[in-house]
Amino acid sequence: MAARRIELMLCTGTGCVAGGAFRIKKVLEEEIARHGLQSEISIVPTGCNGFCGQGPLLVVMPEKIFYGWLKTEDIPFLVQEHFLKGRPVKKLMFTPPERKEPIPLLSDIPFFKKQMLIVLRNKGIIDPEKIDDYIARDGYAALEKVLTSMTPEEVIEEIIKSGLRGRGGAGFPTGIKWKVCRNEPKTPKYVICNCDEGDPGAYMDRSVLESDPHSVIEGQTIAAYAIGASHGYIYVRTEYPLAIKRMQKAIEQAREYGLLGENILGTGFSFDLEIREGSGAFVCGEETSLIHSIEGKSPEPRQRPPFPAQVGIWGCPTVINNVETLATVPVIINRGAEWFSKIGTETSKGTKIFSLVGKINNTGLIEVPMGITLREIIYEIGGGIPGNRKFKAVQTGGPSGGCIPASLIDLPIDYESLTQAGSMMGSGGMIVMDEDTCMVDVAKFFIQFTNDESCGKCTTCRDGSAALLEVLTRITDGEGQEGDIEFLEELAWAIKDASMCGLGTTLPNPVLTTIRYFREEYEAHIREKRCPAKVCKNLIAYWIDPQLCQACLICKRECPAEAIYGEKHIVHVIDQSKCTKCGTCLEVCPPRFGAVKKLSGEPVPPVERGMKVERKKKTATPLQEQSSA
Amino acid sequence: MSNGGERREKVGAALVVGGGIGGMQAALDLADAGIKVYLVESKPAIGGVMSQLDKTFPTNDCAMCTMAPRLVAIGRHKDIEVLTLTEVERIEGEPGNFTVTLRRRARFVDENVCTGCGSCVANCPVRFIPQPLDSIPPVKLAPEVQARVDQIIAEHRNRPGPLMPILQSINAVYNYFPEDVLRYVSQQLGIPLTHILRVATFYNAFSIVPRGKYIINVCMGTTCYVRGSERLMERFSDTLKIKPEETTPDMLFTLKAVRCIGCCGLAPAVMIGDTVYGKLTVKEIPGIIKKFQGANGHGQAHTG
Ligand SMILES: Cc1cc2nc3c(=O)[nH]c(=O)nc-3n(C[C@H](O)[C@H](O)[C@H](O)COP(=O)(O)O)c2cc1C
Ligand code: SF4
Ligand code: SF4
Ligand code: SF4
Ligand code: FES
Ligand code: FES
Repeated sequence: MAARRIELMLCTGTGCVAGGAFRIKKVLEEEIARHGLQSEISIVPTGCNGFCGQGPLLVVMPEKIFYGWLKTEDIPFLVQEHFLKGRPVKKLMFTPPERKEPIPLLSDIPFFKKQMLIVLRNKGIIDPEKIDDYIARDGYAALEKVLTSMTPEEVIEEIIKSGLRGRGGAGFPTGIKWKVCRNEPKTPKYVICNCDEGDPGAYMDRSVLESDPHSVIEGQTIAAYAIGASHGYIYVRTEYPLAIKRMQKAIEQAREYGLLGENILGTGFSFDLEIREGSGAFVCGEETSLIHSIEGKSPEPRQRPPFPAQVGIWGCPTVINNVETLATVPVIINRGAEWFSKIGTETSKGTKIFSLVGKINNTGLIEVPMGITLREIIYEIGGGIPGNRKFKAVQTGGPSGGCIPASLIDLPIDYESLTQAGSMMGSGGMIVMDEDTCMVDVAKFFIQFTNDESCGKCTTCRDGSAALLEVLTRITDGEGQEGDIEFLEELAWAIKDASMCGLGTTLPNPVLTTIRYFREEYEAHIREKRCPAKVCKNLIAYWIDPQLCQACLICKRECPAEAIYGEKHIVHVIDQSKCTKCGTCLEVCPPRFGAVKKLSGEPVPPVERGMKVERKKKTATPLQEQSSA
Repeated sequence: MSNGGERREKVGAALVVGGGIGGMQAALDLADAGIKVYLVESKPAIGGVMSQLDKTFPTNDCAMCTMAPRLVAIGRHKDIEVLTLTEVERIEGEPGNFTVTLRRRARFVDENVCTGCGSCVANCPVRFIPQPLDSIPPVKLAPEVQARVDQIIAEHRNRPGPLMPILQSINAVYNYFPEDVLRYVSQQLGIPLTHILRVATFYNAFSIVPRGKYIINVCMGTTCYVRGSERLMERFSDTLKIKPEETTPDMLFTLKAVRCIGCCGLAPAVMIGDTVYGKLTVKEIPGIIKKFQGANGHGQAHTG
């Protein structure tokens, strides 16, 4: 990297690309050329910066000024003001909702402040398509150290000492898994990196592959050396085309540099890697299913033991590790097990990446030390709930996990405490829900998911999830009966007891936790036919408050069902028999009127058609021009 | 039981129809209760389907280990009479008191003398001859299709586990699996078509029915769902007049629910082709559809 006066770290992760990062790059290049600044400014396309909710975004080095929500129109001004005249542009900086003054520096933004970057050590500061960038930041030093100065046993010992546990969900100690595999007499052996990441709402593995693919290659090569493998696979889901492309490039570069292939670094150790794609089946994340998928068999899980570490792909001993687990390994080797084991809690060491998404102000990927509390994550890093709504619950662990209620907000996050709360670490999705989220509906959503994705081998999982879904649908449709809750609980435990793979044994968790913490919501649905969060369609009605409606005609125009009557100066009325409850009217009614309301558990107040609009006085809304007046 | 009369006393023996594992257990239970049992089986031997299984679900117990003791017990039980190659023809009477007419087919072997040596099997000149694979006429593909598929097969056939990469490449070309192409692949690789279909129908990204030029992937992942993607789906569905997983008659759009496309920061998100639409609202949907229609010369009248 030739040092330039200014380096622009432009995020080209999937989120930002969707937001137009490449279009911005083009305009940036044009503008920089127009001002003749090419020799002073370089653009570095990086992987996901983490703060995806602000994308497309840009960090200006060396000062680390953070610009978010960029639009192509802003670029000429930005280049002229900041890069030419040296005046950072305030209006493009990040401003938290509760403050007026923007925060210029990345390091001052609360979202980044509390984080601790180990796996994501290189995010947003290197170009993932350049191996030299990775090497410049100590990349492949751990591999060299391992190959030249450590025996495989020493490597395994170091990993065991560090206390690293698998980040793919179950949290099995990584070193022990390697040891079991090393001790198997059969050869050849294999290492597989699991990037199936089917857990909806989690995308950290994708982000690691996209922003720092070499860290995974390095970790996987170290694992291969430790167990004595000569070949490895990276299993990536097909929904991640960019990750696949970057990984492919990274593998080719590593081969060129002699870091993969025959006789790595002249030490006599040989190892090579191959990418295999999934094709959209959640169960393929399960290790035995994943193996079957690569082998071209029907990808159903199988009984364990024997574990893959004993009998894995092609019948040979195989270590399967998650992306994040492998990306942590080089850092442990570089900085030592002792350093690593000081981070985190008694049983859970190191850091974990979470994707903080849903009803939260600062959406994105965060890496935090284990043991951090939910409160710190949601209020300090996440910046709280948008629109001053009330925090209700957070869902962790995806379809296998559960909902943790607001009352447990001081829960320290580690493997054990989450399991105790009825949830799971899972792969690290953290979906924040506010009071507008119906917990019964959420449970139904997850069961629908697992019911779809069940491979169908076990009766309890296949038919049990269908039975759960039937009852949950009944409840959300307003046809719940007394005894439904008890039935759900009983069935849930039967499914847990009798299913074979992790999908089946954990699928009832969302139901069980929502019943455990939000039983009164279930009861409201069943007894009062009321949805407290006003989500379940059969239990709600849309209604226009005649006192507030200003007859702006917008809702009438947008309603797809033509269910709204009204004219200029005449209060609009929804015909309940035609309304399909799509919610469009609520969305389009200008906030300054806020006339459309959702009702649940109460009769819809009758409104006469043809009522004249009551004009609001200017004093009530001094800022707004009254339209259509 | 007719005209409300007293039911007559139950007399005589029990008849169990079918000598599978269930029938065997029923016969044993009845006989152990002191009742004479006739166990009727239409096949030459009792045992049924379970005798063909390796393991049983969900405990993975060995099937033969469960069954063998029962076979022996039935053979030994003084109160069980096994009638193989036998079918029920008629039942007369009422529950508890009835007469059954059975038809027994000839075995042509004297069971009292046969030692089960198996020589007759080896010496019988008539064989069941399975149809050899090469007697199925080779599948004919259009020349350009065949060239394409041949190229895909050649690229992958020599790596271990070639089926998935081959299917993925074919899917990338056709958006679905034409039946004759799958048959062709089956013949080329020597993998049974049933197996290929099993794999091809397992994954969400595959389809065995034709799909539209643009696949509208509406994310129904958790984040998008919490942020209201269900309403996006409904709006797409209403506007295109198709249900999820269906294709418009002009073969332009297929509507599909996907689980998280990894853009949760932009929820609710929709992916059409390679383009991701983030933070989408229902209002924008008709415009997006028109844009794609416009790009194909359809719906010009609407776009104006
Ligand atoms: C239904 C199911 C889905 C899974 N999905 C994933 C996944 O997407 N990514 C992953 O790394 N592990 C997943 N796992 C866990 C893997 O089976 C396996 O435990 C993990 O990859 C081991 O790696 P680790 O020890 O590094 O965690 C899943 C497990 C189950 C039962
Ligand atoms: S628990 Fe469900 S997904 Fe797992 S093997 Fe059984 S049926 Fe398949
Ligand atoms: S909810 Fe939808 S269908 Fe009902 S009135 Fe509003 S816009 Fe029309
Ligand atoms: S959009 Fe709101 S204010 Fe306008 S007519 Fe509809 S209900 Fe009334
Ligand atoms: S994709 Fe750009 S910040 Fe995540
Ligand atoms: S949940 Fe929709 S992109 Fe992740």
